[in-house]
Amino acid sequence: MSGVNSTAAAAATPVAPSVPRQPGTLKRLLREPVAAISLVLAVLLVLAAVLAPLLAPTDPFDNNLSTAMAVPGTPGLPLGADGQGRDMITRMLYGLRATLVMGAASVLLGGAAGALVGFAAAFYRRLDGLLMRVMDVLLSFPAILFGLAIAAIFGPGIPAVILALSIATVPLMARIVRGSALVVMRQDYIEAARATGMSDARLILRHVAPNCLSPMFVFATLRFGQVILLGSALSFLGLGAQPPVAELGAMAAEGRTFLFFAPHVAVLPCVLIFVVVLTFNLLGDALRDALDPRLRV
Amino acid sequence: MSGLLEVSGLARHYPVKRGVVLQKQVGTVRAVDGVSFDLARGETLALVGESGCGKSTTARLVMRLIEPSAGTIRFDGQDVTNVGGGALRTLRRRIQIVFQDPYASLNPRLTVGEAIAEPMAVHGIGDAASRRAKVEELLRLVGLAPFHAARYPHEFSGGQRQRIGIARALSVEPELVVCDEPVSALDVSIQAQVVNLMKDLQARLGLSYLFIAHDLAVVKHMADRVAVMYLGQIMEISDKRTLFADPRHPYTRALLAAIPHPDPSRRGRVTPLGGDVPSPMAVPPGCRFHTRCPFAQERCRQEIPALREIAPGHRTACHFAETLPDPGLDYSGGLTEAAARRLALYDAARRKSAA
Repeated sequence: MSGVNSTAAAAATPVAPSVPRQPGTLKRLLREPVAAISLVLAVLLVLAAVLAPLLAPTDPFDNNLSTAMAVPGTPGLPLGADGQGRDMITRMLYGLRATLVMGAASVLLGGAAGALVGFAAAFYRRLDGLLMRVMDVLLSFPAILFGLAIAAIFGPGIPAVILALSIATVPLMARIVRGSALVVMRQDYIEAARATGMSDARLILRHVAPNCLSPMFVFATLRFGQVILLGSALSFLGLGAQPPVAELGAMAAEGRTFLFFAPHVAVLPCVLIFVVVLTFNLLGDALRDALDPRLRV
Repeated sequence: MSGLLEVSGLARHYPVKRGVVLQKQVGTVRAVDGVSFDLARGETLALVGESGCGKSTTARLVMRLIEPSAGTIRFDGQDVTNVGGGALRTLRRRIQIVFQDPYASLNPRLTVGEAIAEPMAVHGIGDAASRRAKVEELLRLVGLAPFHAARYPHEFSGGQRQRIGIARALSVEPELVVCDEPVSALDVSIQAQVVNLMKDLQARLGLSYLFIAHDLAVVKHMADRVAVMYLGQIMEISDKRTLFADPRHPYTRALLAAIPHPDPSRRGRVTPLGGDVPSPMAVPPGCRFHTRCPFAQERCRQEIPALREIAPGHRTACHFAETLPDPGLDYSGGLTEAAARRLALYDAARRKSAA
């Protein structure tokens, strides 16, 4: 032992660790004010969506033409009513629900499939050309076109939108993952890992994937916002949520008709979309930083 | 001397392709072009040469991280050139690698403890508790403290990271450690620590090293034998003392003479090598060094010199090894003053630690 210790001048005599363990991810997340606010907002939004049936003062399909286009502040209708006289609060809670499910499902499904393709292409170079050309083909179709095709096959509705947007997300995520995986795989620690003789699955899951997380996170949160807007566009075209169903994009589209008489019908869902997209973008950035050990203090 | 590693005729050629769809081969990069050497148990063989001469490729071929185009690799008497599956896994446990860049060789997302324990986990050695104990033992062995196991690589300096890399390589108790320029990315003061640590570990654990380097001061300190590579082939191989005192290949001489020397009177006598290393896509015919060799003759342009034994244990690939003019340079003392001082410091540190 003496032989090593005395040569180990750099390590000197190590003092007892002052910070033996790193604070947890959640704790670090809450230390950043922006991150903390976005986390709280995200939790509130999700709770509101989940508990919509309990929180909503009325039934979302309860139309009452006597209150049609009631302005916010009307007694009993704090945020007014839409063109059919339905309570805006109720509609927005249910709309939020549909929008979050649509956005999250498309990003998760499409992102997972895309990540799988990306890792496969980066790892098994023989598949690379084929996989990436298929992705290029997918990439050349606009999401709206997928929406049209899928709505034509399965009928319009939220599941069709989710399917269309998932497919549109796959090639984007695949490209991003492939690129960053290729960079990571040139690192020495990947060669060191190979030199231990571990399985490909372990190598990808433990060494390649965690080091590709940052771009994946950023893309997923950005895509979440895009997907919500695309979903609204599809709803607007009549391919997404069908009329009585509340969905924020569809509501904004409906409200467009009377934008000059009752702007709140279109503006309020748009504001909520804005809040949702911003919240999840900020949360995504904060999570990416919190999950990166290099940024830990 | 029991041979641990025997390599013969090892080659790696990379086809160079043109075209997007209908690719056709337009050439071949001869990264490693017929390399043979052996390595005894407990011995350190240094591979030296300019960048691009195939040192690192040779190391990765030996480790089976890349597949050889030709040649055989025998490890501990067994032909491992083409083994796969379980036999390859066993080989992976017995040969480990330490990298040049201590910043790229550790996964930033794993704690030091996880990184060191992982090879053991992959090979199913011990359970979680015994692996943790082993990690602490290894950390102490390389001069770090057990509490460092919970930290992430970015919290360490280059020298410390290199120690972590060494601890990771040692965790599965390998017999051969391939060191790919393990100290060339470190500060000189840290180099001494790491080099001495490696020597101590070798003595204690009976390790064999395949030591790749271009710093001749470090090579002189670490190696038992030295192989000089040029354009994918070994030009000269010999024990360290002979190679430094009596180099018989013009390239070896040029390498040794290129070490900066404080004596101005040498200036006129040393002719630095002209030109560049030829492309490994167009290896010169005959002796591959003849384009830059100051002693090249007609024969060198036509006939490939064999790596032949000119004295016991001293092999060189030069037609005129015996008749080369004596340059009158004292190579053994030809190290710079700074390098000599460093060597003295290494030795002083070692003596102190032994006491």
